[in-house]
Amino acid sequence: METIVDVRNLYVKYSTGTVALEDVSFTLEHPTFTAVIGPNGSGKTTLLRTLLGLVKPTKGSVRVMGIDPSKQSSQIRRLAAYIPQRKSIDYNIPIKVKDVVLMGRLAKKAVPRIAGRRDIDAAEKSLRLLGLEDCWDRPFPELSGGQQQRVLVARALASEARLMLLDEPLSGADVESQYVILDLLKDLRENSNVDILIVTHDLNPCHPYIDNAILLNRRLYGYGEPCNLMRLDILSKVYGPNVRLITHEGHVYAVIGDIHA
Amino acid sequence: MPDPLTMIFMHPFLQRALIALALTSMISATSGTFTVLRGLSFMPSAVAHAALGGAALAIYLQSSGLVPFLNPASGALLFSLIVAVVTGYVGERGTTSRMEVAVGVTFAMAMSIAVFFMHYIPAEYTPQIWGYLIGDIYLLTVSDLILLSLASSTMTILTIIFLKEFTYLSFDMEGLSAHGLDVRLYHYLLVTASSLAIAVATKAVGAILVYAVMVAPAAAAGEWGKTVTSVSLWSFTIAFTMQMAGLVSSMLWNTSPSAVAGILASLIYIGTILKKRKV
Repeated sequence: METIVDVRNLYVKYSTGTVALEDVSFTLEHPTFTAVIGPNGSGKTTLLRTLLGLVKPTKGSVRVMGIDPSKQSSQIRRLAAYIPQRKSIDYNIPIKVKDVVLMGRLAKKAVPRIAGRRDIDAAEKSLRLLGLEDCWDRPFPELSGGQQQRVLVARALASEARLMLLDEPLSGADVESQYVILDLLKDLRENSNVDILIVTHDLNPCHPYIDNAILLNRRLYGYGEPCNLMRLDILSKVYGPNVRLITHEGHVYAVIGDIHA
Repeated sequence: MPDPLTMIFMHPFLQRALIALALTSMISATSGTFTVLRGLSFMPSAVAHAALGGAALAIYLQSSGLVPFLNPASGALLFSLIVAVVTGYVGERGTTSRMEVAVGVTFAMAMSIAVFFMHYIPAEYTPQIWGYLIGDIYLLTVSDLILLSLASSTMTILTIIFLKEFTYLSFDMEGLSAHGLDVRLYHYLLVTASSLAIAVATKAVGAILVYAVMVAPAAAAGEWGKTVTSVSLWSFTIAFTMQMAGLVSSMLWNTSPSAVAGILASLIYIGTILKKRKV
């Protein structure tokens, strides 16, 4: 088994004094589809950004495929694809769907970043896998929220990464798009040797798809198979006393009263 | 009275004005378009007022004999560069709201400096400062035009070469940074080159009207353009025709050319918004 992510005693403190992550340790072994869950402000995004070298650890060590992202971020970025959270993308920029999908590949090329046959083939194939082959020439701002989210997944897919880091890939997506995205991610993990780490505030839709979940609220509160984490004693520490559990088709789901608590 | 076309052939100052409005339209198509797309539409205004503050400081230093070789244009460029660097620094992580504050504060600082030094500048120099505030496309010298063509052609060439990078930056700075794009480099390139071009254009357009002439066309084009290239080309077309209308109207009825251009360009933006709302 190959270690994909190895995080040890990670602390991240921002210059504003906010402690985003405190003594977080876990490892992910290949192959994996893992979800990081936790309430808003629990450090989930900071964790992803640290893995990409966009944030430097204050203390502790991080290795991604054996590479230290704070020192060799460019190597990580060649191997990983990333979808940031919705709010960091400007959905009004006049740009075609094909340009968004090609972006992930062209960003890794040299100026003038001309798309070759291979780039276009990979982009078309990715869009097809997300069921949007008809949207190639359409303006990105005119798509629905779910379609836009699928295009962003296609962008990550087209860049042929070994590791995909997705920050809230299901937010703003309709139910159909959520399942298109989850099916595809599961297929990638099973058939294409791609490891996947997603961040989500809502574990329920992902639950049947993922291998492991990481329960985060600045500290690590749990790590393991999702059903094993769905325990009132663990969840109430993170989400407060309003958590309820429901069992359906052999999986345990959490109903969280107020996710912004 | 001869018709406007004959007048243009007769008077070199009108020919210079015609060239200048084509060049400023190029800056609207490039700097204007990308500041609008980047959510920084206020920046050109701030840069232009900073240019005014820089010019005031340079005139003071020149007229007082402290730094005799300094000319207003270099002061203007220096101050606009400061706005660009401060805005760029704050915006490195792509947060537009914080950049708007940085733009506002540097704007206020530059204007305060302008007002401060105007008090000490001999009266015969103050028209030069007013020139930056109101702008006058008829008072441009040949060397102004050379500087303007240098600025607008540099900005156009940069935009053609780095169209993808500038677009990516506006779309998703964070995501593309993680994909290995050197977003910081292109971010600074865009804000500094845009700022310098706008500072140069300020002498022709005037700080007060920079928004109307340079930004409103891009904002209107941004409402209907489906690609960045089409937004940019439309922005040029609007800026050019509206400034042309301003020029002709000034010849026929002795109105202010950039004021008329500004009113028309703003009306196009407002009209676009209203039409979109109805659909």
